[in-house]
Amino acid sequence: MGSKRVKVADISKDADKKLLELSRSDLAELPGVDEGDGKKEAFKDLTEKQRESYEHALDGVCAVQIPKPKTKEEEEQLVEKFLAGLSKLLSKEDNWTFYQQLMLTLENCVKCQTCNDACAIYLGSGKQDIYRPTFRSETLRKIVNKYLKKGGKTFAKFRGNDIELNWATIARLAELAYRCTICRRCHTFCPMGVDNGLITHELRKLFSEEMGIAAKELHQSGTVQQLKVGASTGISPLAFEDIIRFMEEEIEEKTGKKIKIPVDKKDADILLVHNSGEYISWLENPAAFAIIFEAVGLSWTLSSEAYGYEATNYGVWYDDVQFSRIALKQIEIARKLNVKKIVVGECGHATKALVVIADRILVDEMNFPRESALPLLEDLVCNGKLKLDPTKNDFPVTLHDPCNMVRLMGIVEPQRRVLRKICPQFREMTPKGVDNYCCGGGSGFAVMSPMNFQDWRVTVSGRMKVKQILDAFSDVTDPDIPKYVCAPCSNCKGQLRDLLAHYALTENQRIYYGGLVELIVNAMPDVKEPFIKWE
Amino acid sequence: MGVIVLIVFYGSIIFCVIASSVKIARFASAPLHLKWEYYRGSTAYEAIDWWTKEPPAGAAHKLKSILLDVLFLREYFQRNRSYWFYLYLFHVGTYLLILWHVWLFAASVVVDPDTASRIGLVWGHVSTGLMFVGGLGVLMKRTFDEELALYYPPIHYLKWVLLLVTLLGGFYAVYYHFEDKASELLAYVQTQITFGDLEHKLHPPFASAAHAVLASVWLIYFPFSHILRLFFRYYHELRFDEVPNVPGGPIEARIKMLLGQKVSWSAPHIQKGKTWAEVATQLPQDASKEARK
Repeated sequence: MGSKRVKVADISKDADKKLLELSRSDLAELPGVDEGDGKKEAFKDLTEKQRESYEHALDGVCAVQIPKPKTKEEEEQLVEKFLAGLSKLLSKEDNWTFYQQLMLTLENCVKCQTCNDACAIYLGSGKQDIYRPTFRSETLRKIVNKYLKKGGKTFAKFRGNDIELNWATIARLAELAYRCTICRRCHTFCPMGVDNGLITHELRKLFSEEMGIAAKELHQSGTVQQLKVGASTGISPLAFEDIIRFMEEEIEEKTGKKIKIPVDKKDADILLVHNSGEYISWLENPAAFAIIFEAVGLSWTLSSEAYGYEATNYGVWYDDVQFSRIALKQIEIARKLNVKKIVVGECGHATKALVVIADRILVDEMNFPRESALPLLEDLVCNGKLKLDPTKNDFPVTLHDPCNMVRLMGIVEPQRRVLRKICPQFREMTPKGVDNYCCGGGSGFAVMSPMNFQDWRVTVSGRMKVKQILDAFSDVTDPDIPKYVCAPCSNCKGQLRDLLAHYALTENQRIYYGGLVELIVNAMPDVKEPFIKWE
Repeated sequence: MGVIVLIVFYGSIIFCVIASSVKIARFASAPLHLKWEYYRGSTAYEAIDWWTKEPPAGAAHKLKSILLDVLFLREYFQRNRSYWFYLYLFHVGTYLLILWHVWLFAASVVVDPDTASRIGLVWGHVSTGLMFVGGLGVLMKRTFDEELALYYPPIHYLKWVLLLVTLLGGFYAVYYHFEDKASELLAYVQTQITFGDLEHKLHPPFASAAHAVLASVWLIYFPFSHILRLFFRYYHELRFDEVPNVPGGPIEARIKMLLGQKVSWSAPHIQKGKTWAEVATQLPQDASKEARK
């Protein structure tokens, strides 16, 4: 455990003082990475103006940007609102979506602390108390037991409910709800079935659905923008059509293949939906999908209608209402096009949200067939439907398992079978598969960079992933050898981009990242120039 | 005094049954929730058109998983070995002692006390010993291991001490009061459960009265214990929810009912008071446009 002990009861105290100050030497060691002076702060401090304006007394990091209340009355109103929301969380009418799991999680914990060692953030931080999965859950549990249960204040300390509910508690709890990536690795470690990731989810929901408090990138510029414009990236239908034309030109220029990408084709077998971030940051990914699908002659289409070209659903991380709205909009597009099924591209949370979680809100004609793209890719590669030359991928490749598709859906093998088939130097990370560590960008972190939050997520939440990557390539440290981290998930790629840049791993060790389809196209013999550009 | 012991003991049995049933019923009748599983390996989602495949993981698989977890505390063994050792001794002792009580009540009715074997008593002592050593070990770990002491409330230390006292009380009753004789113990239990001697029942000896009172405390505690809660973990709609929602099926019917419920959340982006179906299909901006028309 970290050297700076923080008790749960401390969360209510000293509202203006940080609960935790971290220096670099407190963090988990990263062998082979020079991080400079260990006495320096672990991540950059907020500016004075930011400190004056926003709540940051958890650890000096600001993810949610909650303005400081101006008066005592305002604080009291917020406390009342929080309690009202908490009552709704515990009501099976108001919170039917997660009531049963939440009750189990609140009641079952035996305080064995087994789950902590599963948490990439707790481990990466050098085992700091406030980042324990149990710290957040225990805080909420104590508040529920003391303030909402009958007789909760009687012998509160003796019964373990030593906490004061005030604005300091709530402001810190709101930030704490954004120090967990909801990867739910801790859940798999719990002998009692407690799901601390769910506590994070439910806290975020309480703040969003009752108090209107949520990370701006997830709500205003995320789901609200998606429901207004059609995509969380802000891409409009018109802009999308331009992008597709540009993508066709790019494909021709890079591969010599002249492809007409099917858009809004009615009655196709497949509606392929990508995270729209791919079109902005990694155009080669949807381009590679198009090359592969056209090479085998699949009946497929993209949609240019609002909601039809965006697979993301940030609602899954913080708000059941926004989640439901987006899932329904996406299904509506597939119905209009009369396709046979929706196939979600390389995006973990989008796949999990639409294929699995939405299963319990879709009825009648809205209960539409939908699946991940990975099984389809496996079929094309492993059953000889695509002609491929593995020698074109003769460089070290490792696989990052996106939590949402692997641990939380059980899609473990298809991507591995593809890599074993087409990458002679494929090597696994440790741990792997359902036991993988989150990239540190899960639950929306990858798109969140307010103030010093990005610094925190590359320094703390992504730390274990960096260690895994370095370990996976420890036998090929020669900077002349390019290495590839395959991450079949848009959000994970966003986080990997920031991690590799922060630790200068591309610059110093030539470690690159990308998706799975790029490797497949790179192995196609009729694509003369390397599809992967190493730049 | 004997009357009070009788009321407490039989009252606690009735309370335990009713409160446990209420808890189980409340949990089982909780509304259908969104699908939020985690997986230990490959699933049907690895297949193309997965919805056309048979749902995996039959009853045998679930039962095996539950037995491994409950009988061997598999998860603690894998993740927290040092704690597992004492916890396992305690649990093995508990399972054996529960079975021993079943034997005790059954044997007292079907076996002639005078011909009873001593093996039954040895079984009881070994079970009590395992439970005591395990319980004491857990209490020590919870006291001196910094991780295990973290967040562990004072009331739970009291619980462990009371448990050890209960075990000692049981041992004392059998070993000293009944002089470690199976025949005497079985004869006494037979009288108790057949209501053969009401006078004796109203004036129980101190050793058995004290043990009955301590046992009553545990019967009252049981519905609130982690032992009962652990079973909720394996509730089929929680831990093994692999049944897909198919058009026209029972899951769909339950979803429709839930979508008809009113939403009460108060944030500005939610139309409070409308049904889930309305809120999910109508955006606030659309609703305000409609209102202006």
